[in-house]
Amino acid sequence: MLTLPLRWIAAAVLLVNGFFPALWILLTSFKSDAELAHTPITWLPQHPSLSNYLHAFSDQPLLLFLGNSFAVAMLSTLLTLFAATGAAYALTRLQLRHRGLILTALVAVAMFPPATLLVPLFEIMRGLGLINTYGALILPYAVQSLPVCTLVLASFFQQVPRDLENAAMLDGCTRLQALYRIVLPLSAPGVFTAGILAFVNAWDEFLLALTLNAAPGTRTLPVGILLYQGEFSFPWPVISAALVVAIVPVAILIILFQERVISGLTTGGIKG
Amino acid sequence: MSLRTLLNRYQPDGQRSKLGDVSDTSLAFWLLLPATLLLGLIVVYPVAKVIHDSFYSMSIFSEHGPAFIGFANYADALRDPDVWRAVRFTLALCIVTVPGALLVGLGLALLANRPWTWRWPVRLALLLPWALPLAFSGMIFAWFFNTEYGVVNDLLRRAGVAPISFLLIPQWGFLAICIATIWKTSSFVALILLAGLQTIPRSLYEAAELEGASHWQSFRHVTLPLLMPAMMVALIFRTISALQSFDIPYAMTQGGPARYTETLSILINTTAIEYMDVGYGSALAVLLFLLSMAVSSLYLRKLYKGTV
Repeated sequence: MLTLPLRWIAAAVLLVNGFFPALWILLTSFKSDAELAHTPITWLPQHPSLSNYLHAFSDQPLLLFLGNSFAVAMLSTLLTLFAATGAAYALTRLQLRHRGLILTALVAVAMFPPATLLVPLFEIMRGLGLINTYGALILPYAVQSLPVCTLVLASFFQQVPRDLENAAMLDGCTRLQALYRIVLPLSAPGVFTAGILAFVNAWDEFLLALTLNAAPGTRTLPVGILLYQGEFSFPWPVISAALVVAIVPVAILIILFQERVISGLTTGGIKG
Repeated sequence: MSLRTLLNRYQPDGQRSKLGDVSDTSLAFWLLLPATLLLGLIVVYPVAKVIHDSFYSMSIFSEHGPAFIGFANYADALRDPDVWRAVRFTLALCIVTVPGALLVGLGLALLANRPWTWRWPVRLALLLPWALPLAFSGMIFAWFFNTEYGVVNDLLRRAGVAPISFLLIPQWGFLAICIATIWKTSSFVALILLAGLQTIPRSLYEAAELEGASHWQSFRHVTLPLLMPAMMVALIFRTISALQSFDIPYAMTQGGPARYTETLSILINTTAIEYMDVGYGSALAVLLFLLSMAVSSLYLRKLYKGTV
């Protein structure tokens, strides 16, 4: 319906809005400090170099932050998938009283402002000896992703034909075995979708990470990247390089699995 | 798919196992146990603790142990100019960024819904801002709004306007934080609305066209009404997360200049974690979750009625 120039403008608006900030830090990451201090500013790097990336890895233990973020995101994803699988199966396949109430309670949890729970969470984690360990983040992240994952898994479980499950149980499987041998494998795409959403949520979180796990050895990327700023100095090219490194894993995930992520987001419609 | 359709569509078969069947009930118990334990530890107990603590004087600096002081923390909060400033700033942020993100998100969704030859760059353009951590978005936008080296001031200079110290002047800081927040959150709104747009049958538009409706009329009378449920979901979720804003203002201004851009979440974090004034911080936390609950109860009510 749109004429050609309008189509180009529409495409430009979408692409600039979506990519400009990421593109800008990518360009900045190739600039030198001298070039950055130059006014008027340059848009394209004059003498592109990779030295900022070397600095990003040597000024701070970026590799360690990456590893920490990866471990926390991965472990909290596994935990949330484990809890969500049980809940989704019980909610879709078993006779339950108060099903509506249980589901509503689950969703209500997603709406709890993490900032309000900072102090008790800090005390709980200290009580459990988990402050400044992965555990302090894994538990709350698993909870934050629980509602989305349960909804996504439940919508996939429903599509598994009951006859398959019944046949397995006639062959002597218990319900639990039917869940792990029949329903779960057939819902693999759903498990995967839920897993990606949980992973991205955990990878992105900042407030709890800042409060519950800020020790040098275990801190995750969003907290670690703040360290590149000095009191009065902002070495932007190096920060940009670190940001690019931090964004790449999630960018790869969403490039590879974009349709899955979108379907998961609209099924779970929970977090923004 | 919404919760309600999920609940309605799926009724477990009553023939195989009757309600209260022992094996089913105990299996349900075990299956729900991990989720229940997690929720109990991370949400239910902490909420009870916050409410309890909000009635006590529990400062790290007090010489005696915690002392019950009734509603004194709340009374203090209502008299505290810092609290009122943070409440005003947080509400202002909601009033600007929630409609802002909905409008921008709607625009992006309408653009993305065109029949593009290449769909993946369009989808990626909506997904990337969603996947970019809030804290990183805040840092990047702080850089955009930098006085000397920021892109925004570069454009202003080229247009012949004197550069502005966005993050050092309260009103400009507010604007910069709003723009960063709208950019970051509108893509999620767009994804939700895009899914809504794709469920509207083409035949409705064809019928509207046959009756001689203009583009605007078919948008006004077909698209908007059918998109309303998706808009409501986006509106409620956006409002709840806007009330809790922390990452973007923290990364851009750390609440400055002179605490002008301090949100309620930042204030709670400063009071309870940095100053270790646990009782007072807990009272502030209760005020914030009352605000959030007021909004989320709207959603939960719709959920129960089945309109979401």
